Amino acid sequence: MSDMIIRTEKLTKIYENGYSTVALQGVDLEIPRGSLSCIMGPSGHGKSTLLHLIGGLDRPTSGKVFLEDLDLTAIDANRLAEVRCRKIGFVFQFFNLLPMLTVLENVEIALMLAGVPPKEQHERAGDLLALVGLEDKLQARPNQLSGGQRQRVAIARSLANDPDILLMDEPSGNLDSKSESELLQNIEKVNERGKTVVIVTHSPTVSQVAHRIYYIQDGRLKREVENFG
Amino acid sequence: MTRGKLVLKNLTRKKTRFLFTVLGISVGIASLVTLLSLGTGLEAEVRKQSQELGAELVVTPKGWCAYEQISVLTGETLPEAIPNADVEKVASIKGITAIPYLVQRTAIKNQPVTVVGILPEPMKQFKNWQVEKGEYRLDRESLVVGFSIAKQFELKTGDKLTIRGTEFLLSGILKEMGNRDDLVIYLDLTTAQKLYGVGDKVSFIAVKVDDITRIEQYSQEIQERANVAVVSDKQLIKSVMAIVGTVRNTLQMIAAVAVLAAAFGIINTMLTAIHERKREIGILQALGGKRRTIFFLFLYESALYGIVGGVVGLIAGFAFSFFAAPYIQQSEFTAFLGSAQTVEIFNLAVIGQAMLFSVLVACLAGIYPAWQASRLSPVEAISYE
Repeated sequence: MSDMIIRTEKLTKIYENGYSTVALQGVDLEIPRGSLSCIMGPSGHGKSTLLHLIGGLDRPTSGKVFLEDLDLTAIDANRLAEVRCRKIGFVFQFFNLLPMLTVLENVEIALMLAGVPPKEQHERAGDLLALVGLEDKLQARPNQLSGGQRQRVAIARSLANDPDILLMDEPSGNLDSKSESELLQNIEKVNERGKTVVIVTHSPTVSQVAHRIYYIQDGRLKREVENFG
Repeated sequence: MTRGKLVLKNLTRKKTRFLFTVLGISVGIASLVTLLSLGTGLEAEVRKQSQELGAELVVTPKGWCAYEQISVLTGETLPEAIPNADVEKVASIKGITAIPYLVQRTAIKNQPVTVVGILPEPMKQFKNWQVEKGEYRLDRESLVVGFSIAKQFELKTGDKLTIRGTEFLLSGILKEMGNRDDLVIYLDLTTAQKLYGVGDKVSFIAVKVDDITRIEQYSQEIQERANVAVVSDKQLIKSVMAIVGTVRNTLQMIAAVAVLAAAFGIINTMLTAIHERKREIGILQALGGKRRTIFFLFLYESALYGIVGGVVGLIAGFAFSFFAAPYIQQSEFTAFLGSAQTVEIFNLAVIGQAMLFSVLVACLAGIYPAWQASRLSPVEAISYE
């Protein structure tokens, strides 16, 4: 098995909304297994688009995305959903929790989609929420939590199906510095468990924990920096 | 977490919208149930009345249509067209008992009431009538009435009843039979013929045969001897049912249109829900929800509208048909609906049909919105604000 868990080849994404917007252009990228990487760059230069393509949320206009040896651009929508379910966990800037569900149910739902029986869902979701320090908030609704707590629920949910890769889009974008610091601790904890973490961020604090930083500008990969802390 | 729980939570988060969408389908199903119940009750009542007529053959004037045949069972006014000569010819056939009826109308306290001229003794035996109060005397001056008529108009034996300007003594009240016999004033046949000026004619003749296996021969013999038509009780039911069925089907079609209108309400509600929950659909997709999963989550929501709407509609429909039936104006078609007993509440076939229709329509209404939801692009959905 290759050491690179994620690989892109000449990845290009052009949005057609009456006029063409080039979001990514010929990006070749390799992300090592078990690494903690950051994708940085100015707003609107294609960072999130790259993350969406790596995560199989979107299709490139051209080029390829490999997850291990699987070409994500060559599989159908249902298979792609299966990959998202089993292999990838997502954490978003705005948490994206389901408002009508409790904290516990928000984690359980990811397990439900993977076909885990309700009893096991309950146990595993409880364990994951304990891992992020929310064992006393199981029955709370997302609107009863602080931003930091919501982001911890999102992290617990992203880990529900024990994915190999965790993709985070501006995870500290809506957090204060204390919550950001807690988030980083959780991210490092997850990475130490062997998960590959890819974070899109503007935050220098977040980038400090990364092993590797990719700079995206004008839709192109400008630089790739190894960070030895 | 189960899919059912998720569907339920999504469905009830907008309670007012949920309520109005359910009400839409409930109104449609209630009207369908009302008409199905009344229709089923009507059919059952036609069979019951036919049985209680007690005749295997009905002799009618030639050329009677099904509408007039219905009146044999409902007790509506009938044209008098069979002369006494023909009655005697029919009665003279061995192995049959012929009971002539002259069916007319009068009014008590401005309410229409059926008056039937009969041969007193043969009729009493034929129907196995018992007297509740007074005596069974029918002649030029006396008459008897059915149980319900006496109750409805608070009549007592010894009361005077005026029919077409002639005063009669109410000599007796019959015991309750639980059929249309309870709703009739009975006069001696000759007296009734004179009173209504119909000469020696009668409306129809009910015929009871001694040997049921020879019913075809009797029917043929009657038609050979007299200038009349003969229908068997089965044929009578068949032709009446054909009309009842047509009326019932038409009414049900109207009710079905109401349910279909409600289906558009469901489509509208579901499309609105999908628009509002676009981001949540994206979240489910990001978490690994397949197109099929998203499709069925929304289809289940739609089906649940059908189930809840169906149950509410059933209850409302049964309640309405039970309470409304007595107030439905009497006519050729609805004459049987004069009492609540004609409505079959909790008829399993009606429940099954209405629920099936409700869920089916709701599912069909949900297909397009569910398909739309399942086709959303994950990144577009999750980025939706």
